[in-house]
Amino acid sequence: MSDTNPTPSPSSVLELQERLRTAGYLAGRGLATAAFIGLRLGRPILLEGEVGVGKTELAKCLAEIHGRELIRLQCYEGIDTQQALYEWDYARQMLHVRALSARELNDSETTASLYGTDFLLERPLLQAIRSGGNAVLLIDEIDRADDEFEAFLLELLSDFQITIPEIGTVAAAERPIVVLTSNRTRELHDALKRRCLYHWIGFPSIVEELDIVRLRVPDVADTLVEQVVNAVHQLRDMDLAKPPGIAETLDWVDALGVVGSDTLNIETAADTLGSVIKDRDDLELVHAELERVIADG
Amino acid sequence: MPNSSASLPMADPSEPTGPERIVDRLVGFGHALRDHGLPVGSDDVLTFCAAVAELSPGDPNDVYWSGRTTLVHRRDHLPVYDEVFRTYFLHVPPPSADSPQEERPVPQGSTGTLDVPDSEPGDEPGDEQPLILGLQASSVDIQREKRFATCSPEELAHLRRIMARIRLEPPTRRTRRRAPDPGGPVIDIRRMARDAMRLSDSNPALHRMDRKLRARPLVLILDVSGSMADHSRNLLQFAYSMRRAAQKVEVFCFGTRLTRITPALDRRSPDDAMRLAAARVLDWDGGTRIGASLDHFVRTWGRRGLSRGATIVICSDGLDRGSPALLADSMERLQRLSHRIIWMNPLIGNDVGASPNTLGMLAAGPFIDELASGHDLASLEHFATHLADIG
Repeated sequence: MSDTNPTPSPSSVLELQERLRTAGYLAGRGLATAAFIGLRLGRPILLEGEVGVGKTELAKCLAEIHGRELIRLQCYEGIDTQQALYEWDYARQMLHVRALSARELNDSETTASLYGTDFLLERPLLQAIRSGGNAVLLIDEIDRADDEFEAFLLELLSDFQITIPEIGTVAAAERPIVVLTSNRTRELHDALKRRCLYHWIGFPSIVEELDIVRLRVPDVADTLVEQVVNAVHQLRDMDLAKPPGIAETLDWVDALGVVGSDTLNIETAADTLGSVIKDRDDLELVHAELERVIADG
Repeated sequence: MPNSSASLPMADPSEPTGPERIVDRLVGFGHALRDHGLPVGSDDVLTFCAAVAELSPGDPNDVYWSGRTTLVHRRDHLPVYDEVFRTYFLHVPPPSADSPQEERPVPQGSTGTLDVPDSEPGDEPGDEQPLILGLQASSVDIQREKRFATCSPEELAHLRRIMARIRLEPPTRRTRRRAPDPGGPVIDIRRMARDAMRLSDSNPALHRMDRKLRARPLVLILDVSGSMADHSRNLLQFAYSMRRAAQKVEVFCFGTRLTRITPALDRRSPDDAMRLAAARVLDWDGGTRIGASLDHFVRTWGRRGLSRGATIVICSDGLDRGSPALLADSMERLQRLSHRIIWMNPLIGNDVGASPNTLGMLAAGPFIDELASGHDLASLEHFATHLADIG
């Protein structure tokens, strides 16, 4: 454990909401309650929801407001313990062996030192266990990993300890805050879900999204923000293959800022549409109805 | 979502509100959810009580959200949760109209109002077709459950035979990971280092490795509409065998709407699996809307990434009552979201070179990588054994 003292957890849902807000994250009552309970009961939080609604962002902000380190494990198909937990640094071990044999040292102590922590490459999960209460562990897109990895994770999330044969058991002195995210490409195992608190993040309402955009990009004119948010909500109703998330709304506002336009009209919208719509078929559809999208917005 | 003006959820004026009473109410809520079909375990209820204890049990908002995060594990269950919460804590009678935003959209075409084209261009009386066709595609959405009481011994034998064969050959793809392979192109420096240390050998033997092969995901999309009635049972058995044989297999059924039946097929007994799958699909032997169903697949499952890198097998006769433009559109998207598309059309029969010219097939044609038949169990077996080559 390091000496740095992380900020204590908030004492109420409202306080958590307020502190997340100062970190630039607007959490609804439901999300804040889920996070608060997770913090209090030391349970992992499983977030599911549309792409770009701020699942990953929550973990970052939780780390920020608690003054903890964010440790991120990006899952992918075929991820195994070597990428997630730890690995021995073979190249350095080799060099060390060479150095030792040059000095003709071969007692048991030097041999043991070969498998010391110096030669251990910590991967995110081991890192999180070692940091314990100083860390927020983000396990991103868990649905992309294989079933076996999920089972392994289940074991880890219940005890927060692992055994490295050459070193011994490493246990977390204090549980890190754990956030898991999933895009629902496949159904997660019930056993894993049961270990976690579950929250579904949907698209925000117009009012909520206005607040979010104002919070994240404060120096943009209110009228522009309103126009963009209204237009994005029109787009989400349009039956697109990839409806824009909050991240896309923010990108659009940024893009409009870069091209220096302070209002959203047909021309500026058409020029910057690429920051919100990222599918060719969708682009065609939106271009055809751009007038309506902008007019209603 | 609870109405903030509502009374405290625990306050039943006639009774005292001690801590035990509150716990009773909370546990009772768990039971109520269970009665409505949500899988709420005792541990979930414990967590729920612990969560409420951290908050204020008198605030409906706190109770609502803590219950929602501890007792619900799936998005689909949220509407049920909302309804039970309303009746249990807020004493609102069940048929409340204004449901929260989480309500899932009702799939189109759940009623029988569909425009039926007068003629179907691609469907001339084909005298060269030796096969007896099933019913013609009709656009009436019949909600009927197909009865699969038991499989006959003969069918079970067939099933086992297919299962034994396709276990051998799921299509594969290369992964990023490497495994030891004496003829591989990459030198395994780690293994050599390990050897060198263990054997204190300054000249370790050369180890090589190559990329690993993994089973490619397989997505089966089965047409179970009226015109496919003669085949749908075979197809379902086939899907069951595939599911048992390979790891990454997803199975969907469609007539007028798309249903995912993968979980239902995960049963040891084929009878159970068939029964469960049959119960899930509500539009057996009804009309066909291939375009709308595929579109639904692309927009929900495809978008989430289920079909990425997958071999997609669509089993349908292509007799579609929906719009050909929609079918072509969704096939085009599907092609971009997947590795290969194989279309199994029982109308082909044993004549492998034939290409059935139903309107649906004409629309989907340009996006199909491989055509197969699958009109009987034998051809399904053949397909299964050769899947690795064509997939």
